[in-house]
Amino acid sequence: MKHIWPFAFGRRRNELQEEIESHLRMAAADRVASGESEQVARREALREFGNVPLVQDITRYSWGWAWLEQLVQDFRFAVRQMRRYPTFAVTVIGTLGLGIAATAAMFTVVEHVMLNPVSYKNPDRIIAITERANGQDSGRSLVPWLDIRQWKSRDHSFQSVAFWGRMSGRNYLEENTSAVQVDGIRVSSNLFPTLGVNPSIGRGFLPLPPSFAADENSGTIVLSYPVWQAEFSGERNVLGRSVTIDNTSYTVIGVMPRGFAFPRGDAEAAQVWIPVQLGKEDQTRTLVAMKYEAIARLRKGQTMASARTEMQAIQTAIAPEYTNLRTRSEHSSVALERYSDTIASPNLRRALLALLGASAVLWLIASFNATNLFLARSAMRQRELALRGALGASRARVARQMIVESIAFSGAAAGIGVAAAMVSLRLLAHSLQTRLPIPIPAKPDTLIILVLIALTLLSALGCGAWPILQVMRTPIEPVLKQGGFQVGTGRGQHRARSLLVALEMAFSLTLLVACGLLMRTIYSLRHVPLGFQIDHVIVANLNIPSFRFADRNMTQVLYEPLVDRVRQLHGVEAAGLMSEVPLGKTFATEITLRMNGTSTPAYLKAVSPGMQDVFGFKMAAGRFFDTQDTANSQSAVVVNEAFARLFSPDTHNPEAIVGRKLFSSSRDSKSSDSTVVIGVMKDERQQEVAEPARPEIDICIPQITPSSMFYQSAEGIAMDLAVRTDQPAAEMIPELRDALRQSSPELANATITKMDQIVQDSYGDQRFTAHLLEIFGGSALFLSIAGLYGLLSYIVAQRRREIGVRIALGAARRDLLWLILSQAGRMLVVGLSVGLGLAFLSSRLVRSYLYGVTVHDTWTFAGSAVLLFVAGMLAAYVPALRATRVDPMESLRAE
Amino acid sequence: MKLRTKQYQNRIELLQGTLDMLILQTLQWGPRHGYGIVQALRTESSEVLQVETGSLYPALHRLERQGWIRAEWKQTESNQRGRFYRITASGKKQLASDHNRWERMVAAIGSVMRARPEEGEA
Repeated sequence: MKHIWPFAFGRRRNELQEEIESHLRMAAADRVASGESEQVARREALREFGNVPLVQDITRYSWGWAWLEQLVQDFRFAVRQMRRYPTFAVTVIGTLGLGIAATAAMFTVVEHVMLNPVSYKNPDRIIAITERANGQDSGRSLVPWLDIRQWKSRDHSFQSVAFWGRMSGRNYLEENTSAVQVDGIRVSSNLFPTLGVNPSIGRGFLPLPPSFAADENSGTIVLSYPVWQAEFSGERNVLGRSVTIDNTSYTVIGVMPRGFAFPRGDAEAAQVWIPVQLGKEDQTRTLVAMKYEAIARLRKGQTMASARTEMQAIQTAIAPEYTNLRTRSEHSSVALERYSDTIASPNLRRALLALLGASAVLWLIASFNATNLFLARSAMRQRELALRGALGASRARVARQMIVESIAFSGAAAGIGVAAAMVSLRLLAHSLQTRLPIPIPAKPDTLIILVLIALTLLSALGCGAWPILQVMRTPIEPVLKQGGFQVGTGRGQHRARSLLVALEMAFSLTLLVACGLLMRTIYSLRHVPLGFQIDHVIVANLNIPSFRFADRNMTQVLYEPLVDRVRQLHGVEAAGLMSEVPLGKTFATEITLRMNGTSTPAYLKAVSPGMQDVFGFKMAAGRFFDTQDTANSQSAVVVNEAFARLFSPDTHNPEAIVGRKLFSSSRDSKSSDSTVVIGVMKDERQQEVAEPARPEIDICIPQITPSSMFYQSAEGIAMDLAVRTDQPAAEMIPELRDALRQSSPELANATITKMDQIVQDSYGDQRFTAHLLEIFGGSALFLSIAGLYGLLSYIVAQRRREIGVRIALGAARRDLLWLILSQAGRMLVVGLSVGLGLAFLSSRLVRSYLYGVTVHDTWTFAGSAVLLFVAGMLAAYVPALRATRVDPMESLRAE
Repeated sequence: MKLRTKQYQNRIELLQGTLDMLILQTLQWGPRHGYGIVQALRTESSEVLQVETGSLYPALHRLERQGWIRAEWKQTESNQRGRFYRITASGKKQLASDHNRWERMVAAIGSVMRARPEEGEA
């Protein structure tokens, strides 16, 4: 096949033309030779030859791709049309592009978070198993080894059952001199086979059963691709090299492929995996038992339901092995979930689906608008189309041309839409990253392309079909007879277009209401008293490289010098440390205290005395830590009101807890030192702005020593450095980094943020949803108003003559204004009533994100409806005014 | 008008499917361009066969696609550029089979036309 592709058209067509031309020349030459004059010869040759273009056409058909050529013709025609009416083209493509962009962006997010979050083999057969109390849906417990062993020996549902846990603390991997922070994960040797992923270099762990003695897997490590790149610059000769984590050395036996991550789907995470070594905490089911996350691969032919039933039976049989009654009930049942479903929380899934729905609604509005525009234009083009029909174009051909045209339009819109979607994903990357469990790559993949194609064709069909039907049905003759633009659009079409506009209004209202509810939520959140001051505060979130300070007192060698150094910096008014600043959501420690017969979890935070000056914590009773509290003085704790309410000896007077002893301050069980409550702090928001304070105990950093009760968890993992300063953040941050680098080189990479940003981020879910809904709602409002305006302008233009006649016959301009406005009003009222109903039904989709406002908040509903109505009437006013300015003479002359 | 009608009656429209064979046959005698093929057919049939250009060119392009003939641009005797068609080996094979089929058909039609009705049938 030499000529396969349409670009050969041009050449072949020229060749054919030349061939025919040479035929004619030769024929003419022969005639001249036999005595005819040149003119006559040429004419006769032409006559003899027949219809040249027809011969060309027929010959071209014989090439077999005439249909393709026609298609190309149709496309060219479409492009010519776009060029001839650029405003129309830009409006349609822009409108559809907006709808497609929103949907494509949302779908990309949903696809990566919900549909395809993990890159394992047959991910829908990978099941996460946790234990829970019978008949309760919440409160999952991790699993001790003894239970996993029982499952392994009894179950028939799973190909393999693997388990994993995290290494304790913050892990730094050292190789020669450099150190990088890694996520250390302890895994059973069958974890990678269970996931169905093999290392790309090396063999990975040997398939040995978990054992209590050291085996061949002991002391080995598998690196993730990012760690391999960072530490070994991607050198293939990495097997057998040795690395150190937390002063233990490991031999590299494998590198996982690029893009692999476990747990969760963040392919950029610096993860390393070492084999689980069973120990004495694995021989018990008591509170000290080591707990794991269990993950299993479903055997072929087994379903979730059958596996659930079987595991339930097994768990019921082994639950009595728990001797403690309370623990037994917590482990009496199992929960099985697809691993990929555990990545997005149910709340997030609901929100994402609601947003995807919102974007689809926007797309619908956009399509309606485009349909309306096409309808208007096909009415304008009726004469042209009728003329073409009269000249012999078949209706099928005209219809096909219009289909091609609408496909060309939606294709262009899809191109622009997907580009816009990817750009906006990149722009939103920061807020997406803080809100979503995994990063969203800003590039379309196969599934998204498929969805896009579907959207495009649907858009094309949606906005093309109706006008095409209209054309197919319109008879040719009357149109030609009457002439002019203003014929053939009956009441039916007006009604159809009004209906479309009304529906647009209805959909817009649902989006506006959802958006309004979220905005009121943000407003309420902003006005929640936080319990601390956030202005002029800069926070550095530190991951502590505790391996550098093994066997040393971190309070003395790291923290106190660091605070002193930072206090010296120019412009620093106050500085302090806290294991987690309020709303920081970086590292929370919970302890469970049993007192007065109640037991409740409470946050445990290590705080330095300077923190009160930074955040302005207020006291309800007693005092905050100060310089008197040192390693040699009485161990002191500050609690919050929520704690005091629960544990105060006098329930009516929470402050009575001051002076009470709480728990032993030393890990040495022989020591009788006890911590004493020295003050009750007013409640502050800890994790979420929308969440009331939970019990909290603060311990004083200067008093913490390696022998203290919570040394490792309070000081060895994470710490926030907070600074109150009058300097701009841009100047303060580099100085802070310098100070941190001097304390330990790893700290220079700390995340440093302004406190108000941290608070902003903590509105995150609501803000994220609200932002997107603002964009969707705003676009919907804009599109539907534009649709209304377009329709009314069109109607006014069409009824120009009629209006002129009315004016000539004495109609008052006011009446004409009223005529058009009432038409708009009818559409708006129909649209808004339907919209209020839809909004009433759909607003519960965002329920889980609302705070300080009810799902059916009257003000929001009324406000959105009024906004839409007023905007609609304003948009209608312009064409209405235009109607009153029609010159009656002009119309009369035209009649 | 009258003249043309008379001329027309003197000519015979080509039978369906014979054009390809005739083109191939004329090309047996040497490469020709489209006009040459028309002329050749006319002279060889003593002015009886007239090929419509509307059939000729599609047929030529079709045959070319089949690979039975090959085209190239060459100078004619009168020093003009013309698109010359040459028969290929597979074209010759095709011609042979077409010819064969044609002869059998002529024989068959001939025998039908010559046959006398059985006596006593009427």
